[in-house]
Amino acid sequence: MSDFYAANLVLIQSTFIGILLALSVQVPMRAGVFSFAGAGSYGIGAYVSAILVLKTGMPSLLAILISGIVAMVVGLLLGLLVAHLGGLYLAMATVSFDLIVSVLAINGGDLTGGVTGLFGVLSDVTIFHLIGLALLGIVGVALTERGRVGRRVDAVRDDPELAQSVGISVRRYRLAAFVVSGLLGSVAGSLNSLVRSTISPSDIGFSLIVLALTMIIVGGAQSWKGAVLGAVIFTWLPPLLAGFGQLQHVVYGVIVATAAIFVPGGLYGIYSEARYRRTRAKRKPPQGEAPAHEQALAISVPNGDAGRSA
Amino acid sequence: MSAAEATATRPVLEIRDLAVHFGGVKAVDRLSMRLDEGRIYGIIGPNGSGKSTLLGAVTRLTPLTSGEILFDGEPFHTVHASQIAAKRIARTFQTVRLLPDVSVRDNIQLGADAARGDVDERRGWWARNFGTHTSPAVASAIARTRLGGFEDYRPAEMSYGTQRRVEIARALALDPRLLLLDEPTAGMNQRERGEISTLLKELRDEGLTQLLVEHDVQMMVDTCDYVFAMNLGTVIAQGRPEDVVRDPQVQEAYLGKKFRHA
Repeated sequence: MSDFYAANLVLIQSTFIGILLALSVQVPMRAGVFSFAGAGSYGIGAYVSAILVLKTGMPSLLAILISGIVAMVVGLLLGLLVAHLGGLYLAMATVSFDLIVSVLAINGGDLTGGVTGLFGVLSDVTIFHLIGLALLGIVGVALTERGRVGRRVDAVRDDPELAQSVGISVRRYRLAAFVVSGLLGSVAGSLNSLVRSTISPSDIGFSLIVLALTMIIVGGAQSWKGAVLGAVIFTWLPPLLAGFGQLQHVVYGVIVATAAIFVPGGLYGIYSEARYRRTRAKRKPPQGEAPAHEQALAISVPNGDAGRSA
Repeated sequence: MSAAEATATRPVLEIRDLAVHFGGVKAVDRLSMRLDEGRIYGIIGPNGSGKSTLLGAVTRLTPLTSGEILFDGEPFHTVHASQIAAKRIARTFQTVRLLPDVSVRDNIQLGADAARGDVDERRGWWARNFGTHTSPAVASAIARTRLGGFEDYRPAEMSYGTQRRVEIARALALDPRLLLLDEPTAGMNQRERGEISTLLKELRDEGLTQLLVEHDVQMMVDTCDYVFAMNLGTVIAQGRPEDVVRDPQVQEAYLGKKFRHA
């Protein structure tokens, strides 16, 4: 075990960071907000923590907390600006936000270290901090999928107009998605620069957006379980694919494309669908109902006037 | 309605000189209505007569051009769409709108989640938001809409008429004072329509005010206490359902055309 741990320390660390990054994209996705701002928040967390620790000698956990607050405020402002946008437009706006963070990092002069970034960010972050914060993130997100809050998030995603009619402030939920995503992304980024003791613009660029999105597409956006699954897979897959040599990028691409096309709900989607089918097969239909027959009839009676004269 | 009757009951909803214009299109114009407590009101009218726009305005999804809406005597047209549930106004939609990936029970619970003064209100913040309990209001809404046995079903497994009943159950779980029903029996068979009509009348007898938009004239005559006929965005006739459907203006605007096609 300890041999395995020592040999794979970097991957083990990356797994917990990856989980938080994936959650930062999964949370807004589940609320129907196509925001990739989590990657930008990751950049904010990574740089703010690194600067605080490097320039002021601040304790790591305090630096993580402060960068988290900064990212939440930025997330809220971003949300106020773009939350009313839908679908692709929102996605593009948040990708732009991520790229703006990269540009700021590159042009930040001495503060951000420019293209080469910051080095020697010494901290006392251990694997236990990583595990603890990742668990905290998972538990927090899992709670938002339970009970009343879980139902309301479902409603905001599936039918905002219906959600309003049952007293849900859709706008508030969408803004909350931006703020929570900001916090999760920022903690992931902070941990990355504190564990690796370095951060550069190449760590937070477009490839980070692609990585986070890949984790969610393959894992599944409907639940934190999908995010965790995706994070584990895409942390450990690249080293495993190294055996393919030059072909590894092709294999990686095929896996992602296959998942996107054939498994739209992700791996977690397959699991939850199978579980649902099992419970459905077990139960008996209620008295007086012939679902299959009436189902066919229902399709032929849509919303219009046909067949409904007095 | 006589003066004595008018003072005996108080208006739950009052619409004064309402106008909703979309550019040059006057979807609703110079429309006034008064809904007294504990009665079933119906709105009939051909497609495009402004029925849905009116419901949109009352549920605050459609902005008013001018006019006033009063709920319980208080100005209501400044209230946000997400606050109407807190005022205990519940609605169903013209097309069935249920969450596809959750059970019937959870879909109905969504209505109970919005209810105030419910037993849930006394639970702790934590249990109320993250607990997986089902409110008593859900069980009673399921019983009233005869959905027993369907609790664990998802919407796509049920017939259209049954899905409609889930919508009504969700609205009832909100414990409404005013229930707005947009074509509640569309897609239902004759037996189901009869059941819904009976349910609505029971609810009326318990004091629930209802506003019903329907195409099914027989259902309206059987169910409503008072009917408004709309055409071109305004009320062209109102009164007892039997009288309104015999009104020549109404027959021409709505029934005549419909019966010719039938």
